Amino acid sequence: MSHSLHGTFVSEKINKIRWRPDSYNSHFFVTGSIDNVENNIKLWDFCENVEEDDIYPFLVYNLPYCGDITEIKFINSDFFASSSSSGSAYLTRVIPSYSESTSLKNEIEWKNIHQFKNGDASPCTSVTVYDNDIVTVGEDGSINLLNGKSSKILRKIDDADSCSIQCVIFLKHNEILTSNLRGQMKIWDLRVQDSNRPTSTFMISGEQVTPTCLTYHPTQRHLVITGDDLGALTTWDLRQNTYPINVLNGHEGAISEVQFNPEYPDQLFSCSSAGEIWHWTTKGEAVPSLLTPNVETNVWLAPDNVKNKLDVFTLMPTLGKPINSLDLNRNRVICGCDNEAIYLINGVNL
Amino acid sequence: MEKEIKTFLIPNDLCKRAGIAGTWLALDQISVFAYEKRNIRQKDQPSHFASTTQSSVFHLRQDVVLFHPILRKLVNESNGVFLAIQSLISSKNADLRLELFKISRQYRSIIRACLENLQDEHTKSEKSDEKLELQNYITVFYSIECIWHLCEILFIDTMPGNLVLSQLLEWVSFHFPEYERNAASMLAENVVGLETRSEYWDTVLGALLQGRIKLVRALLKQHSSSDNSTYRLAEQILKAMPTFNGPGGSSLNELNMQWRHWTMDVQSKIDSKLFSTEKNLDLMMRLIVGEEKAWIEIQDKCEVWYAYLAGWLFFTEPTVKSFELGQFAKRAITKLRMNNQMKQLDKVLLAAMEFDIFQVIKEIQHMYDNGWFVSHLTDLLYHCDRLCDLEKEVPDFSAEKLRESFILDYGTTLMGHKSLWQVGLTYLDHCPNDGLQVIELLLPRIHMDTEAKAQKVVREAKNRELNNVVQSVCKVQGMLSMRRGRLGNALSWALKSQDGPFTSFLADEFLQNYIKSGRLSSTDLLDNLGSGMLVSDRLIFLGKYYEFHKLYQSGDYREAAALLISLLASKIIPKYFWYILLIESIPLLESGDLLFSSNDTFTIMHCMEEKKDVPELKDKLDILRLAATRNLSRALTFEAQIIE
Repeated sequence: MSHSLHGTFVSEKINKIRWRPDSYNSHFFVTGSIDNVENNIKLWDFCENVEEDDIYPFLVYNLPYCGDITEIKFINSDFFASSSSSGSAYLTRVIPSYSESTSLKNEIEWKNIHQFKNGDASPCTSVTVYDNDIVTVGEDGSINLLNGKSSKILRKIDDADSCSIQCVIFLKHNEILTSNLRGQMKIWDLRVQDSNRPTSTFMISGEQVTPTCLTYHPTQRHLVITGDDLGALTTWDLRQNTYPINVLNGHEGAISEVQFNPEYPDQLFSCSSAGEIWHWTTKGEAVPSLLTPNVETNVWLAPDNVKNKLDVFTLMPTLGKPINSLDLNRNRVICGCDNEAIYLINGVNL
Repeated sequence: MEKEIKTFLIPNDLCKRAGIAGTWLALDQISVFAYEKRNIRQKDQPSHFASTTQSSVFHLRQDVVLFHPILRKLVNESNGVFLAIQSLISSKNADLRLELFKISRQYRSIIRACLENLQDEHTKSEKSDEKLELQNYITVFYSIECIWHLCEILFIDTMPGNLVLSQLLEWVSFHFPEYERNAASMLAENVVGLETRSEYWDTVLGALLQGRIKLVRALLKQHSSSDNSTYRLAEQILKAMPTFNGPGGSSLNELNMQWRHWTMDVQSKIDSKLFSTEKNLDLMMRLIVGEEKAWIEIQDKCEVWYAYLAGWLFFTEPTVKSFELGQFAKRAITKLRMNNQMKQLDKVLLAAMEFDIFQVIKEIQHMYDNGWFVSHLTDLLYHCDRLCDLEKEVPDFSAEKLRESFILDYGTTLMGHKSLWQVGLTYLDHCPNDGLQVIELLLPRIHMDTEAKAQKVVREAKNRELNNVVQSVCKVQGMLSMRRGRLGNALSWALKSQDGPFTSFLADEFLQNYIKSGRLSSTDLLDNLGSGMLVSDRLIFLGKYYEFHKLYQSGDYREAAALLISLLASKIIPKYFWYILLIESIPLLESGDLLFSSNDTFTIMHCMEEKKDVPELKDKLDILRLAATRNLSRALTFEAQIIE
């Protein structure tokens, strides 16, 4: 492999790390810390030092944050939504400046939108975005529908789940998928008012498995992959959702995040609590067969032997500590870890 | 070992009058409060210090310097190296010595990086107390670097034949780089007449004492009188100095002989007063031949005794062996009259030169770095087999136990930190004797404010097969969920750890709630219990009962009735729930369609008569009996028809 690895110790554990999406391929990214006495969201810039052939992150702005950062999702290049273990959610703006350095500012603060009945704050465990729509979920089992243009809660589904909801993603503009501690996955239609019942419910597997991350296929949005706390990747075709299409046992620990490569949708990146970060690619050049044109070309939808069709590359020697988050921008992968370091893997073979 | 006891005063009047007591709050905190001591003979009554006015509780925490942001980088980075050693040892690498040397270099480069960060921050900082704090850290880690480097030379990267001088000089010039720096900047200007600089001769002498002869010659060449005969002579002498090219070159005896000839030559030139016109050159030459008076002249120029020592050895004992260092070091210290001014750093360095590893370890464990240095160095020396000799020398000494006790302490300190607990775990993992037990005690005490963190802790416990920790963490999370009115979530946690008694307890809560409110909660969860329900009988009952409920509500009376009978026949119904089941059987008994066979009805009647003393059933008993008899008559008639 020809990629290069650059690690930097940052004196705090990073729970979420995201490239700032923009068309001109900048090097900005944000990190959210966890387990710190005072947590924060930081904006960084990867500076390339051509002379020394070195790349290092340069801190651009530090925004203090209340609680652990449990998720960060960019809406566009200037706005991102984040969720906090203090039960709040924030919409933050990246403010470019010609005179000073770029800064971050909270545009909207949805304070304490997740709360238990006894008054305890409930961690907001995840947030997902679709255009300006934002959905948050929490340990209190409720779902909030927010919008980036309003500081009000548009809709709240109280007691949506009797277990704590841990992950959420948008499937369509009106549909979200949630997963809970018990391993139940539920699809919710946000248009249906006055109901706190999901449109469908299914289980990730028989026993005691908690999904730890969800993602959908970049071009076939009905194809969803879940990573779970036992290290398995499960593929679902939501057109027929009761049973998974296939289950790949891979990682040693819980899978912290999975992400498809939007440019090469067959490829997937995953990282785990055992300190692994992997790049899944299809084996060789899949020759399109003329004889069987109707065969499903998406390898992830293959019901069996999917393992034989995939190559797995490790992007980094296994760390002794969990890798909590990863993000991809073209051929550059960044990840944030529990050894209080962030890593840039440059020039990943795609 | 002398014990240092530190006293902290609790600034509180009540505490002063009543006395205090303390209790562990978290891993790293003690809570102190006013408390009057009682003994068993005293009467059990409120203390007369008790009052309704507000009183204070004090939380005390150890100040751990390693938790400073810059030092956290050191902690994390060195943890990676520490783990690398442990896997190196278990992999039985062939060239272990070389690998361990590399590791030692890695540690040193981490310390160096840390020092640079500290220095940057020190320059940037504007607050005076912050500056002072950083300056303290710099001093501590500078000493650590210096000691580590010397230990590396003496104990880890040992040269064949125990020849140590070249490394020793390297060590001195690494830690006192200003001569080299000054020389470089002077030479870079490339002008003649450098002697006009105030630091010129100090630099020349400094370079000479560090054995940098080439540098000395280069500097002398830039002297404005370098063409004069005295300077040319000095240049000749320095050029002719015999050099030692490591063990592969000329033999030691040969070198000694050459050296003797050379110094005799220099001495004769001094004696014939060839240098008398140039005071500085004269001094240099007299130093070279080891003239006592000359060395006394320059001893004030040496910042530290070990710089003096290295220079002196270079000219008088070029083939000094590492095990002879101690005696020369002592002599140097006496000469410099430093015996009574030895600082901690000096003591450690001397102990190292005397090969007294035990003393080195003893001294460095009191450094102000929370045991970072002593645990990492001891671990490294242990793996270099440098501690096993001590076992013979020191009674009741076990190298393994010493290493473990430092690592255990260090790991425990880190476990007390909100973020560094995982790093602490990896140290405890490598304590073969007590590590696991300590983990077992500490892990459940980690502060868990989110489920995500609880899951991380559970995972760490599972990785170490600490099932009782898994259970206790899950139970705490479950109880917390229950207090927050999230019974379903509590049940999920109970099922996660397969905790039978706790699951039963929660299932009882569900049923009791049903009795009170007439509604079953968390039905989305009960719907999908699967085989998880086998953990406890009570949960099986809850699951089955919920199934009964669903059937009943959807109008599947026949199946509901069948399920009810099988429940009644089973032995898993909780006592307090009997009457609910019996009462709920009434509408089924009275249903238009015949749902119970005569046998079924007998089962119901049997249960009913058995439980007739249950108070909740009292006013329903008549109706129940009536419904049962009516159903029985219908069933008997019906069954009789079928037989016919």
